Amino acid sequence: MPIQQISGCIGCEACVKSCPTDVIHMNKTTNKAEIRYPEDCQICHLCRLYCPVGAITITPEKHIPVMVSWR
Amino acid sequence: MKSKANLSRRHFMGIAGGIAGAAALASFAFDAPAIENKPKIDASDFTEEKRVLDVLVIGGGMAGLFAAVKAHDAGAKVLMVSKGRIGSSGLTPFAKGIFSYDKNNASMSIDQFVEKVSESAIQTNNPVFTRQLAEHSYARVEELKTWGFFDSPLYNESFMRPISERNIGVEERVMITHLLKQDGRIIGASGFSLDDNKIIHYHAKSVILCTGSGGFKPSGFPVCDLTHDGTIMAYKAGAKVTGKEWNDGHPGSATNSGSSYDNWHGQVEEKPSTTSITINHHLGMDLNYQGYIYGAPVTMGPPMRQAESEPQTRQGGPFTPEAFRMTSPPPPPQKGLLRTLISGKGHSGPPGMGGEQVGGSSAGMAIHKAEGLVPINEQGLSTLPGLYAAGDALGSYMSGGIYTQIGSSLAGSAVQGAIAGEAAAKDSLNLKLSIEVTQQYSDTITEEILAPLKRQRGYSPAWVTQVLQSVMIPNFVLYIKKERMMQAALAYVEELREHHVPMLLASDLHSLRLAHETENMIITAEMKLKASIMRTESRCSHYRLDCPDIDYKNWQAWINIHQDETGKMQLEKQSFDKWPEFS
Repeated sequence: MPIQQISGCIGCEACVKSCPTDVIHMNKTTNKAEIRYPEDCQICHLCRLYCPVGAITITPEKHIPVMVSWR
Repeated sequence: MKSKANLSRRHFMGIAGGIAGAAALASFAFDAPAIENKPKIDASDFTEEKRVLDVLVIGGGMAGLFAAVKAHDAGAKVLMVSKGRIGSSGLTPFAKGIFSYDKNNASMSIDQFVEKVSESAIQTNNPVFTRQLAEHSYARVEELKTWGFFDSPLYNESFMRPISERNIGVEERVMITHLLKQDGRIIGASGFSLDDNKIIHYHAKSVILCTGSGGFKPSGFPVCDLTHDGTIMAYKAGAKVTGKEWNDGHPGSATNSGSSYDNWHGQVEEKPSTTSITINHHLGMDLNYQGYIYGAPVTMGPPMRQAESEPQTRQGGPFTPEAFRMTSPPPPPQKGLLRTLISGKGHSGPPGMGGEQVGGSSAGMAIHKAEGLVPINEQGLSTLPGLYAAGDALGSYMSGGIYTQIGSSLAGSAVQGAIAGEAAAKDSLNLKLSIEVTQQYSDTITEEILAPLKRQRGYSPAWVTQVLQSVMIPNFVLYIKKERMMQAALAYVEELREHHVPMLLASDLHSLRLAHETENMIITAEMKLKASIMRTESRCSHYRLDCPDIDYKNWQAWINIHQDETGKMQLEKQSFDKWPEFS
């Protein structure tokens, strides 16, 4: 997956706000950011660049589930 | 003001009924493939809020920034609303060059500049907006300097500085889906929050669409949050839109083609810089042709350099005016961005420059400033009173049907945003009219917004989007155009619009956004196909294999699109030298 991991999150929400495609949300229980919709990641790296503590790891490969079946 | 969204079942059936309801029943009866919806949020548990202001600015990129600042400075009460974060959504965060016409150092006069752009654009540009860019770019760039824009690769902080200093209201992560219209005038907009179960109705005397352009959520270009939302909501409200036959031709890297970051060679991490006069006629059109004729991937240099090194590619293909055929390497790069036009050295450029290339990376997007709302004057007023547009949401034809001046996209958004902001403020301050709507009207809009959450059976936006992409992105549909293939694609797209759009499902706020975006992409696809079929010539970024020549006799005209009273899409020619009037 593109955005791969958030490790060491301090809960500032910068990545949630700076993601253009709404991939990242706050987990209301842990108060940390989590990757919720990785299939919509455009691999632009804005979340990583806005993260003040370098918590986000991104890989360049994009894997989208192929939906041949009607759904 | 808060109120509970209390929608009657009868009201809801009004939305979901008709074709959609019948289709849903038919699906059920035949055990057809539509899936059952399992909402994670309760569509009956939404609150509604209302804001009242003078000028509503929709969009938080470069155009929105200047629109809000200048509308405020002209005395209006302004609110900015954005689907993403200010300075961190749309294409703005990735644009690193901004054109500044500095009359003290310019290599040509403004008259010469306008003439040269028109020559490259083969007259498809609107010289009024080309001139406006040159006249105002320097002042906007100087303002950006004072806000710290050139000091960081990330734009949120510098964008927020003038906004915070002026105490301008900002609402982020709100998707606007509808314009409010009363007695022929636009008096606001409505949308929903991406974070809370909340509908917001904005009542404003003027609205400025700074919503950017859009694409089909293509692979490898950072435009996946833009789906022509502004254009489509304006079209539905009766505005004329234009420019749908032109193509942005950015290719992507053959390696990791889905990564926008890698396609842009990490350029997003660079601080922005200014560009001076460099007028081109390019952006991938030749590459698309080469890729189609000879197969992908194509190797890269700047487009015409490569054509020079491989003479066979000069046979046929898109026409480039003589003066813009690069037979020698481009001039040495200025600091920052312009090195990006040179292939093979260090970072090798903006998307599509360097390495092995594949096409379709920005599919669904036209040339910057060539698509969007039709202006009736140089202030970006649309064909609907009360509705302005600026930047990529305005079909100003500042550059024409091909990208001409490097860095003009960002500069043009700043210039047009500022002008529209000031005009909209003056317009609204002189206006004495009620900007209230009836409860029934706002209830109907709320129901339309929430409809995908309430449908019990239907189709996921992700699947419908994937079908749309597979129909529209192949190179033989919109890049190397032929009427027969476009008619075939149109049949698919009309099917999606008629049958699948009324059955789009959402289970949470994220997929509610996707559902509305998917509808906007489908209507855009229909516009692009119909305009491309209508334009029976090839010029600039519109290339028809079956009509390969420029038709000066019949096509000194743009194509304007609007929805008639019956809901049907209508296309008409507008002569290059004419401005339309209010619809």
